[in-house]
Amino acid sequence: MKRKSALFLAVVMGISLLTGCGGTSESKTDAKSGQGTNGVFTGELEKNVTIRVLENDTAISKGYFDELINAFNEEYKDKGITAVDANMDQYLDLANDGPYGYGPDVLYQANDVIMQYAEGKHIYPLPVESMECYKEIPKTAWDAYKTEVDGNTYYCGVPINVQTAMLYYRTDLLPEDWQTTWDKDGNQVPDMVENWNDMYAYSLQRHQEDASKYGYMKAIYDVYFSSGFLFSYGGYVFGDNNTNPEDIGFSKGEAEKGAWVLSQLASAMNEECIDDTINTNAYGKLADGTYFATISTPDVYSTFLDELVMEYEKEGLSTEEAKTKAQENLVMTTVPKLPKSGDLSEENPELIDAKTMGGVNGYAVSAYTKAPNASLAFVEFAASYDMQVKRSEMLGVAPAREDAAEQVGGVSQLLYQNLEKGTIVLMPSIQEVAQIWTPAQTFFTDIAKDAFRSESEKKYPDITSMKAGLESVDKQIHDAIFTLK
Amino acid sequence: MDTTVTYILLIIVAFIFFFPCLWLILASFSKSGTIYSFDGFFPKEYSFASFEKLFTDTSLYNYPQWFFNTLFVAAGSCVLGTFLTILTAYTMSRFEFKARKPIMKTTMVLGMFPSFMGMIAVYLLMTQFNLINHLWGLILIYSAGAPMGYLTQKGFFDTIPKAIDEAARIDGATNLQVFTKINLPLSKPMIVYTALTSFTWPWSDFILPKLLLKEKNLYTVAVGLMSLDETEFARFAAGSVFIAVPIVILYFCLVKNMVNGMAAGAVKG
Amino acid sequence: MKERIKNSSGKTRLSMLVMGAGQLAYGRIGKGLLFLLAEISILYYFISRGFGDIKGFFTLGEQKGDAWLGIQGDNSVVMLLMGIFAWIVVAALICLYRWNVKDACHMQELQQQGKPLPTFRQELSNLVDKKFYVTVLVLPVIGVCVFNILPIIFMILIAFTNYGGNIVPPELVDWVGLQNFSKLLTLSQFAPTFFKILGWNLLWAVLSTALNYFAGLGLALLLEKECVKGKAFWRAFPVLAYAIPGFITLLAFKFMFSYGGPINQLITASGGTAIGFLDLDAKWTARIIGLLVNCWISVPSIMLLATGILSNRDTSLYEAAKIDGAGRWKQFQKLTLPFVLFSTMPVLISQFIGNFNNFGIFYFLRGGLYLDGYFLASDTDLLINWLYNLSIDNNYYCIGAAISLVIFIITSVISLIVYVKSPSYREEDTFQ
Repeated sequence: MKRKSALFLAVVMGISLLTGCGGTSESKTDAKSGQGTNGVFTGELEKNVTIRVLENDTAISKGYFDELINAFNEEYKDKGITAVDANMDQYLDLANDGPYGYGPDVLYQANDVIMQYAEGKHIYPLPVESMECYKEIPKTAWDAYKTEVDGNTYYCGVPINVQTAMLYYRTDLLPEDWQTTWDKDGNQVPDMVENWNDMYAYSLQRHQEDASKYGYMKAIYDVYFSSGFLFSYGGYVFGDNNTNPEDIGFSKGEAEKGAWVLSQLASAMNEECIDDTINTNAYGKLADGTYFATISTPDVYSTFLDELVMEYEKEGLSTEEAKTKAQENLVMTTVPKLPKSGDLSEENPELIDAKTMGGVNGYAVSAYTKAPNASLAFVEFAASYDMQVKRSEMLGVAPAREDAAEQVGGVSQLLYQNLEKGTIVLMPSIQEVAQIWTPAQTFFTDIAKDAFRSESEKKYPDITSMKAGLESVDKQIHDAIFTLK
Repeated sequence: MDTTVTYILLIIVAFIFFFPCLWLILASFSKSGTIYSFDGFFPKEYSFASFEKLFTDTSLYNYPQWFFNTLFVAAGSCVLGTFLTILTAYTMSRFEFKARKPIMKTTMVLGMFPSFMGMIAVYLLMTQFNLINHLWGLILIYSAGAPMGYLTQKGFFDTIPKAIDEAARIDGATNLQVFTKINLPLSKPMIVYTALTSFTWPWSDFILPKLLLKEKNLYTVAVGLMSLDETEFARFAAGSVFIAVPIVILYFCLVKNMVNGMAAGAVKG
Repeated sequence: MKERIKNSSGKTRLSMLVMGAGQLAYGRIGKGLLFLLAEISILYYFISRGFGDIKGFFTLGEQKGDAWLGIQGDNSVVMLLMGIFAWIVVAALICLYRWNVKDACHMQELQQQGKPLPTFRQELSNLVDKKFYVTVLVLPVIGVCVFNILPIIFMILIAFTNYGGNIVPPELVDWVGLQNFSKLLTLSQFAPTFFKILGWNLLWAVLSTALNYFAGLGLALLLEKECVKGKAFWRAFPVLAYAIPGFITLLAFKFMFSYGGPINQLITASGGTAIGFLDLDAKWTARIIGLLVNCWISVPSIMLLATGILSNRDTSLYEAAKIDGAGRWKQFQKLTLPFVLFSTMPVLISQFIGNFNNFGIFYFLRGGLYLDGYFLASDTDLLINWLYNLSIDNNYYCIGAAISLVIFIITSVISLIVYVKSPSYREEDTFQ
């Protein structure tokens, strides 16, 4: 899931959320009254129906969505089922539009968004166990769509791909002799993309050699990417596997070490890490060589690639050459390991796995659809092995299906393993998650700003003050959730 | 001396207002999509590509369609809204009736209510009237809300002397005639001002259309530009520049009417 | 009125029973039929849904919906809204009824005095003459009632329900009386932030209104000067600024003042360190930038308005003043300012209101911060931004409605007093 830097989106989303909750329950699922949900999915396909599918913009603009609906329509031609683009905003709010008949039948969104709908029963629980993809998708991914109502467990969506923080870097920006100087373990992978200590050291070195160049750059304030550093040292969002909003854990464990890592990384960047500058310029700056590495989600791989291709073309390469060269040089991989001590300047540190915040995007079926069975057929089709592989090939995303991940290989497989291993911390699916962003964002901004304050003005001179700062974040979130309740 | 100072001031003012616009215009001709690949204020390389893309690459972002939607909504609410506002303002200025002062106070107070809190109600109302996904629905809301801002226009009518009205009344003109034959021509500058503001309001508003228009091909330009991906900055800038064009044209067409108001000292003096 | 009812004749009483019947009995067929038709259609509305809506207004729904079980439930919020709508129709019915009775009485009086009753045609023509204001105001009043007043009443009533948090449809909403207000009073974190923000909000509203107003007026006067050639050309620059939608301008300015923006690029290129114009330490710089950016956005429209109004000036007064030897400053002080101030007083007030409730400026320029010493707000947030944080970011619609009601009462009392005391309200014909 890509966090749009554009704030204004939030205005609209906020308001539609407000209205959304205003207009939900005029449910149009008439004619089925008295039946349980199991009664909805009879397996009998509705005849001559058109199902409106909401996809995300990248899938549409890169042409994947066209392929998907064409393939589906071809397959279901004789049954009279047609799938079409819902032609709506990818961030639409089903709770808002669905009840009045303005929503899509099938929608593709992130797990935290989809599960908000489940609370108000705006989407149907799906008979997932009878689906072909059930066994291929790991339990952790299914859990992102799990909900419990009256003691029964339901799954409200089908996981399609995993989204989390990935490291992007360029091999042609590595020092020429990296194999001798930056590969202590001799595994043919540069050390700086393996652990943060070397990344930090290389960042300092690169900036020292040329003041206009930097190593690792990323907006620190971005909660989605920065909170992973806290999680790696024991922090969490909500207790009891992200279900208990009473227990807020940004300061728990040794999370302050994560904050310390962030502040050290910030000191190797420039002031641009304080606001959203880097979020929008990372594509261009990585391409022109100002940055060596940054972090983003896998679905923007093609954007990074396009920028790099353009840059190479400017250098005089033909389009074909530029493309091959860019594909060779641009690497997307999992996030480096962290030092256990939290000290990035430590020599030969003991390393721990870095955790990242992530999500599982997937399909869900609207409870306001007139053709639930046809919609389910579409979801099933879209989640099939062939389509998953195609999706991954065209968009660079990491499939949630094991067989597809294996087929695609590389990073997708790594991500799949991380998901199973639990180093990807899924975003909470409860409603209270809306309150974590601003307090956490303010703290991360402060940490970043602190790296550029003069010694005497520093708000977080040591690790205890960072702990205190995180505790006040917890308190603020708690206030936001509970004071007015 | 005086003239020089005036011109210096004017140049400064023009610079202040023009500079950000110039920057936006240049950005729209920038070759690279991202905003930060600039050399200070100016793009490194220029091209027409983003304008070309704006009008030809319509599969995901149908800018021409958005443009005509906006034009339709703006023109519709401009005509209706101006009509209602001018009439309301005129009546409130010229007629004495019982409900007058209460109405004046009420409208004054109503404007103070934080408007976004009322948005839920507007949305629900429109679903009940089945006006979601209709450009007409937007026009309806904009023009219904327009008379709320009648105070400015009323202030203007208050400065037009009543003496002419009374003379006409004595000659047997009805109130309608007094309005259409005498006051309307006199209030040209105000009508132009009202028309311009009620035209630009829908042109730049995005919360309401975002709320009421769910289908992408019904979007107005503001909503559409918001939905652009963040890497499409040059296209965003090109779209922003282009939506200013009708307003600027409108201004140049109307500017004469705006300043040549009343014949100097026609009545008083 | 009572007297009239007592003295009313049989025909008039018919009107009290069935609207329009009296008029029909007096032989005024057209008018009578119109009244009758109005009554029938309103009755039809009440039978088909109005009564149910009014009942729903009190109950706010009894059956909770459940899409999974296929139960079509009640939507409390829609019921509240349509309930209010039904009450508005009731009010309209009462008005119509009174008008109908009054009209019948009036006809009775005319007949008793032996005067001819006005014909339908005469009454119609009256609508463009004596009663011109009625004809004109019908449409705006209906529009404003439905699209402005109804939503406001809706929000005010929400303040007396428990709508928000977990209680959103399909859950049923209930009336809770003054509970939300008592919550506000007992909350200890609330008051300090409220007064801090209110103070800044008032300062902001006054400063930005004054700045915008005088800058706009000054610009209009500057362009009016006789020595300026090519007025339309010079005036086009502010208009250009006016033509670009506000949100785009705000985004552009935010970018310009950001760490990677052009201003900081220039600073760093010339060897300085980047300045955080809008970051979390930048309390006053951010506030001042907010004021200036708001000025940039608002001045063009005020300039246009002032230009329109200035063109209505009485130039002979200025000539007289010139002959009397009054300087330019004196002319401005004694002639221009009172004239413009008089006719733009309402604008000034609506500008004040607009600035007081200016949501966009700081939301775009410096959103997403909760600072120390503030309860879920930052030091540039205005009350409306805070309200947004509380009610929309955090889902407490009922509390948000309660706060906005409090803010609303405070601000409207202030501006009402100012308005009622202003010369443009009290002496509307000063310049006529």
